Amino acid sequence: MFFVTYLRRELRRRMRQAIFIALGLALGVGLVVTVAAASAGVKKAQSGVLSALYGVGTDVTVTGPAPSPPKPDGTSKNNQNNQNSQNNFGIEPGPNGQPEICTSNGKCISAAGKTIDQLTAPYSGISASKLAEAGRLPGVTAAAGGITLTDNTTTFGDSSNSLPQPSSFTLDGVDTSKLSLGPLSSAALTSGHSFTAADTDAGVAVVDSGYATSKNLKVGSVLTIDQAKFTVIGIVRQPQASSPPDVYVPLTRAEAMSLYAGSLNSEVNTIYITAASAADIPAVQNEIAKLLPHATVTSEASLAREVTGSVTSAAKLANDLGKWLAVLVLIAAFAVASLLTMAAVARRVAEFGTLKAIGWRTRRIVAQVLGESVAMGVLGAAVGVGLGFAGAAIISAVAPTLSATVPAPSGAFSMAAGQAAGPGPAGGVPHAPGSTSSHVVAVPLHPSITVAAIVLAVILAVAGGLLAGSLGSWRIARLRPADALSRVA
Amino acid sequence: MYKLTGVTRQYQKGRHTVRAVNGLDLIIAGGEWLAVQGRTGHGKSTLLNLLGGLDRPTEGTIELDGIDLGAQAETRLTRLRAQLIGFVFQTFNLIPTLSAAENVETALIPLGISGAGRRARIAAALDAVGLADRADHLPTELSGGQQQRVAIARALVKEPRVLLADEPTGNLDTDTRDDIIALLEQLWRERGLTLVLVTHDTTIARRAEHIGVMREGRLTIHQETTPGQPIA
Repeated sequence: MFFVTYLRRELRRRMRQAIFIALGLALGVGLVVTVAAASAGVKKAQSGVLSALYGVGTDVTVTGPAPSPPKPDGTSKNNQNNQNSQNNFGIEPGPNGQPEICTSNGKCISAAGKTIDQLTAPYSGISASKLAEAGRLPGVTAAAGGITLTDNTTTFGDSSNSLPQPSSFTLDGVDTSKLSLGPLSSAALTSGHSFTAADTDAGVAVVDSGYATSKNLKVGSVLTIDQAKFTVIGIVRQPQASSPPDVYVPLTRAEAMSLYAGSLNSEVNTIYITAASAADIPAVQNEIAKLLPHATVTSEASLAREVTGSVTSAAKLANDLGKWLAVLVLIAAFAVASLLTMAAVARRVAEFGTLKAIGWRTRRIVAQVLGESVAMGVLGAAVGVGLGFAGAAIISAVAPTLSATVPAPSGAFSMAAGQAAGPGPAGGVPHAPGSTSSHVVAVPLHPSITVAAIVLAVILAVAGGLLAGSLGSWRIARLRPADALSRVA
Repeated sequence: MYKLTGVTRQYQKGRHTVRAVNGLDLIIAGGEWLAVQGRTGHGKSTLLNLLGGLDRPTEGTIELDGIDLGAQAETRLTRLRAQLIGFVFQTFNLIPTLSAAENVETALIPLGISGAGRRARIAAALDAVGLADRADHLPTELSGGQQQRVAIARALVKEPRVLLADEPTGNLDTDTRDDIIALLEQLWRERGLTLVLVTHDTTIARRAEHIGVMREGRLTIHQETTPGQPIA
């Protein structure tokens, strides 16, 4: 075909220039692909962190407000009905300096040789009716209740004068009929099995793999929680970025235990919600905020804002600096391609004038020039995609592991060694409501090149070629054959 | 064939207006051979460009078989050139990346002739100029005379009615010049072309039927000549 023959011969004639133009386009395109891959990798890393924090299937999490601190008389607004609670005691120094356990009615005994097991809740309760109402809100497809507790065990020595450090583990009560929501939804089973619907009120537990290893627990082991026995039926592993509880028990059993957790009264303190669609999440958040004005309502988006660390910095780097650098290089590549193409057209004025003289229409000549430019663009795209893959591989090989600092809510009440507290529902020192601790998670960066990025690269390179060819073609269109031929003469 | 009436072509060159062709009246009959002589800068090439539809007159009309070339749209002019007019240039103006056959082929592209018909006409054109065995050679692989033969083949492959040659032997040595002019003369006779040839060379001009001399944009036609006779 004459068009292809002419095109091929012309590109071969100015091969160095054609390669230069193609390489320029390739560089711009390669940078775009590399930045897109890095950006996709960072997004994937962020998303992994968030989904680990958040759990699969959960769009909105509602937690009750932090319990109010105990009053000096040992009562608190939250548990005035729980005067018989096992948590209604405090630790005070005795007359000879040794710790004593004192109840709310002022009776004290020596703590020596005693073990105190306390359950505390980081969030206040949410009633069953509010839970049901939340499930009926517009835009909500599912709602499940949960209870988060902390079990603190303090064992006093026979003759110790100081408060020992409590050992503690976190405990989640899970709705066994809605396991697709809540803390177990993103867990991977490593041994045994998870809860079934029949385990609603069973004395069974699922244990986190890290906790199981530290306590030498396996399937069949027996745990004692709040003087009740629970048989371990399964061990799970949660995604690295999450702050998983140590033990999961059926919600009904957790509700029974939480009677004595001070702030709860057969209520849940967490609600996990699935929205009908991503677009519904903000509206759902607003409705829940109206239904539960004192609760904390979070979504993945709001949690994302709390994640900090180098993964966030890398995201900014890829999105801001990387994007603009790629744009600048592309503009430069387009400019160079355009200038070189216009220069090539200028050198071929006599050739194009002759073709016009022998009867070639302008658009035929323009098509020839555009074809040459597009061919260089396609070559640039092919090389650019290759450069993009190479860039992504280099990033994968040399980029340091990113870190994400993720929030991990801690219990509102916990024993603090050396600090005395008056008799009251929970003799610990309360943290400020809503405060959280955090932990750092290592997040490997794996740039990923998507089909969309490759398609974008090809489009950009071909567009660059077309732009260059168009500017040259504009010159051809304005060319008068007589003028062109007179330059030869 | 051609009828020029009061044709003027002027250009702006710097601060001055130049009348390259100045009020020219001319009739060129079909099948006639007109040689145009004159010194450099007196409008010979401009006249050729006007006859070929490569330029438009500032004043006057140029009719080719009754078609006013100056009034035609550019696409129509391009089409007329593609079908009716062949050009031969002093510097050959071959496409350097295309072979002899492919250069000849460029003249058939606008006519939409394809396939076997195209190949046959290219072969015939190259054969007519004695270059059938050079079809695959690039211009850089041909001598000056051979390149001009290819250019003539390109001009004639579309079987035009008019052949416009601007100093076709200007870049050639004497022997080659004679060969080329002999070839043009032969083709003119065989095909009944209307041939307008611009030349400095009086020897060449005398081979034409009519000689015109351009001086300051005006053309003076001498009487009909026969080859070898001095101009009246």
